[in-house]
Amino acid sequence: MTTEFKHLEKWEGTLASCIRCGYCFEHCPLMKHTGWESDAPRAKIITAFGLLSGNVQPTDYVAHRMFSCFYCKRCEAACSSGVDLTDIFDDAQRDLLGMGFPGPGTASVTFDNCARCLVCIKACPHEARSYDGDAIATDPVKCKSCGACVEACPAGAAQIIHNYGTGKTDLTEKVTQFLEEGPSAKAVVYACNWSFYPDLQASELPDEDEQERDYKILVNMCGGRLEMPVLMAPFLHGARGVMVACCPDDECEHQGNLRAKKLVESLKSYMEKMDMDTKRVELVQIKAGDKQDFQMHIDTFVDTLNQLGPLR
Amino acid sequence: MKTIDEPRLRDIVGENNIKSDPSDLYVYGSDSSVHQSMPWVVVRPETTEQVQKIMQYANAEIIPVVTRGGGSGMCGQAVPAEGGIILDMKRMNKILEINMPDVYCRVEPGVVDDDLNLALKPYGVFYPPTPASSRIATIGGEIGNNASGVRSVKYGATRDAVMGMKVVLPNGDLVSMGAHTRVEASGYQLHKLMVGSEGTLGVVVEAILRFVPIPEYRCLGIANFDSLKDAGEAVGAIMGSGANPSMLELVDSVAIQAVNKTMNLGLPEVAAALMFEADGMVKEAVDYEIHKMEALCKKCRGKDIQYSYDPKERAKIFMGRKKLFPALSKYDDSLASTSLADDMAVPYSKMADLAGKIHEVAKKNNIIMTAYGHCGSGCMHTKILMDTDRQDQWDSARKAITEIYEFVHSVNGTTSAEHGIGLSKAEAFKAEKADSIALMSMIKKGIDPNNILNPGKLMQAPDNWVTATDLRYSVHT
Repeated sequence: MTTEFKHLEKWEGTLASCIRCGYCFEHCPLMKHTGWESDAPRAKIITAFGLLSGNVQPTDYVAHRMFSCFYCKRCEAACSSGVDLTDIFDDAQRDLLGMGFPGPGTASVTFDNCARCLVCIKACPHEARSYDGDAIATDPVKCKSCGACVEACPAGAAQIIHNYGTGKTDLTEKVTQFLEEGPSAKAVVYACNWSFYPDLQASELPDEDEQERDYKILVNMCGGRLEMPVLMAPFLHGARGVMVACCPDDECEHQGNLRAKKLVESLKSYMEKMDMDTKRVELVQIKAGDKQDFQMHIDTFVDTLNQLGPLR
Repeated sequence: MKTIDEPRLRDIVGENNIKSDPSDLYVYGSDSSVHQSMPWVVVRPETTEQVQKIMQYANAEIIPVVTRGGGSGMCGQAVPAEGGIILDMKRMNKILEINMPDVYCRVEPGVVDDDLNLALKPYGVFYPPTPASSRIATIGGEIGNNASGVRSVKYGATRDAVMGMKVVLPNGDLVSMGAHTRVEASGYQLHKLMVGSEGTLGVVVEAILRFVPIPEYRCLGIANFDSLKDAGEAVGAIMGSGANPSMLELVDSVAIQAVNKTMNLGLPEVAAALMFEADGMVKEAVDYEIHKMEALCKKCRGKDIQYSYDPKERAKIFMGRKKLFPALSKYDDSLASTSLADDMAVPYSKMADLAGKIHEVAKKNNIIMTAYGHCGSGCMHTKILMDTDRQDQWDSARKAITEIYEFVHSVNGTTSAEHGIGLSKAEAFKAEKADSIALMSMIKKGIDPNNILNPGKLMQAPDNWVTATDLRYSVHT
């Protein structure tokens, strides 16, 4: 047993109690994006055990894996063994940081074009950002990759480099592909990591069924991370409507749902000015795990869009 | 360890579909079993042609190839005991066709079971073998293992649902097996041979699967018993009566106590509980089955009987069974819940005796074992709770398992009902199939003369599963 893992050590018994069922796979946005088992929560538990037992050596590569997590904690909710996965990730990160392996994984970083306006420090709900009189520093252990700083930064200096398909560019690319290639495509549903969305997790439908799809669910980090261009992108590619799914009031860990509400309201007011029906944009707040409620909202929304018809 | 031609593999599957960092290999060196053994490289093919090219390379260089789906196997089937190439099939994840008039679907092996059922749902049908791990298990893995689950008592196992498949042989040849028809009588049923072969004969690249209508009505009941023997008698009475349960599950007192201790569910702490379910398109038919099973439970001194059609009530009734896995994991901080000797099957009339034997052997060997399972299929599951750090606990577990399998075989039971053999059940498997092992070895040699596909598994696995590979735990002597 290496003694360098002072924080991780206490989890040795818990790491053995993980039965490695893999039930966390379908819930992890990282795993779903890359399809690699080594990006799944189970892999982090195996890696943590490997670090403790000396079978895995600490490297930048390993640190990148252990610092990559959006902390939606869906893996914990699904865990057969009741393992406190994210607490283990935190302790592994503390030890790796202490050994000089800071990630960053999905933790946010600050680029040189930072104007030192300090807006990000105020925006961070996890007190992960600080200013030392010279530059902004991020504590990668405290950072929960919620992206509040990215959304707040006016200079675009705060960034999450590794966003596993949940970033703005990825989302707009997926929007374009769906709406341009899907003959039945009508709506885009943006769902945050916390949403237990009612859709295929890791497989693809037959071509005929895929072509009949009238909506697509795209996972983003948090409703609060959506920006106006991302929200409007579907309309630019012929969508009839856009739905934003986020957590209920008081259940969002980074007040992202409040920002999402403001954003949707802003879009609606633009739409009113442009004489567009505001029913084409809808925000729904879904309790974690309630797939049925989510599906019901989607079905109703698509019905509404069918009544409204295409945008003229 | 042989040198792997990574550039060649990279050319075949693409830059982003190969991994060889030691930390990745460590992750891919385990599954849901107790075993740990690292591959030399992990590749993710996307097409049949890529699988063929990889097999041609591996066969020429005599490099082991281990096919992997969700990595949820419980006996080490996907653990590369002799190293080599892991063929991670999760990229071949397309549902190719849902053919309603001909009542089949065609899928690639990486399709996840739950995803397939989600896709079938709008058509009013479902794929029934569905193991408990259906949220992660892939169709390819289920075929390799002949997976089954709680509803297999009525709908059968994977072997019953597979109509045909396309398989890449060790030399890279692509072969079609089975048919697109409900029945087939033409020659050797090679697709049935592939089911349960644990990746030792070929790489399945496409499967034709049968589906069945989703029942309109489902009713779940529960009966408590003051003796395990009475519960076992009820199982035999139900199955021998011609009743057609869609689920018949037993949980023992250890399981009930574990759920109460860790989940505080307040279940009556009886010797055993039996959950019985019927489903169908006509309510009267479901009523008939439920009342029949209720009466038989009563006849066998079952008590506190309740049943419901309501989904929420059904979920409540099933809660004790559903919470069993986490309950066993949390039972005692110093003990880990391990999957060993975890899915034997015996004739219905021996279910209670088997559960009793499990309790007796566990006590004698100072380990905790619980007995539960799909008794309608004759399948008994167990979990062994033990301090995995201690070598003596592994020795005790091995002794206990040997005794249990001796009993299973003595009553004409079988080593594995649904989790397969892999590494950890090889000793019992070889003892049970003593007179057919040579024939199986001939088949293996005929199809895979260089022994590159999942070597060291099934009849090739060593008797001592504790030392067959490293254990994934830190064991102190």
